[in-house]
Amino acid sequence: MIGQRLSEPVTGTITSRDAQRFALAAGDRNPLYFDEAVARAAGYRTTLVPPVLLAWSLNPPRPLDDLRADGLYRGEGKRVTLNVKRVMFGGEEWEFLEPVFAGDTITSETRLKSLEEKSGGSGPFVLQMTETTYTNQDGAVVARAVGRSIAR
Amino acid sequence: MTAQRYLEDVSVGEAMPAMVKNASRAQLFLFSAATNNPHRIHYDREYAAVEGHPDVLVHGPLQGAWLSQFVVDWAGPGGRLVAMGWQNRGRAFPESDLTFRGKVTSISGDEVSLQVWEEDAAGTVLMPCTARVRLPRRP
Repeated sequence: MIGQRLSEPVTGTITSRDAQRFALAAGDRNPLYFDEAVARAAGYRTTLVPPVLLAWSLNPPRPLDDLRADGLYRGEGKRVTLNVKRVMFGGEEWEFLEPVFAGDTITSETRLKSLEEKSGGSGPFVLQMTETTYTNQDGAVVARAVGRSIAR
Repeated sequence: MTAQRYLEDVSVGEAMPAMVKNASRAQLFLFSAATNNPHRIHYDREYAAVEGHPDVLVHGPLQGAWLSQFVVDWAGPGGRLVAMGWQNRGRAFPESDLTFRGKVTSISGDEVSLQVWEEDAAGTVLMPCTARVRLPRRP
């Protein structure tokens, strides 16, 4: 199972509107995301996308029927489906290899990196690590992310 | 956003100026919307109690976005974030100050390594983080 692709690759275009909505929701007014002239002066061809938005921008829209009682979507991608009550976001390691520009079309692919049973203060849990690769429309890998989630 | 920081101006051990965030409940709602995250622990206090939380929680990814904002702002528009990693250690709540701090741990070529963390009002570290940024040299 390790190394296996967890879902079909997902492709989506990240617009400047997506980038700005995310940045503003995080209280981030960095002009590189908003002002073409500032981005060009910094040597970029157009405005940038906040780096960590990559993780969220490609989630496909889901129907309401897919919602569970806790509000999460059933069989949420990017993870192995485990028979557990809760999955918590444990942290991430990112490598940003190339800038991501507003208007880029990005393809992400997630593979299972490891799955370990552990025991902690609040009982046993499963630590799952996934690796996601993000590639732009020119075939350049723009980022890699290793995500840790804790299931109990 | 701060002015440009140049490689020549940075030294190992130097502290980064702190950044303080204090999320309103409305901000949490907007972040859920911007990331299409319907998890009820971020907007439904009654439900958050079912999962054992005294209040709604600030999203881990929002704290991750703040960590990257802290580092990107420090580096300035000509700097580039090349790597970053963080861990979720504790819960963060809305309407409470969250402080981001950091320091320079090493410099290699044009890459500066940073140790960064987010702490709550009691000074407890909620998210430890390491980051690497590339800085331009003075023209």
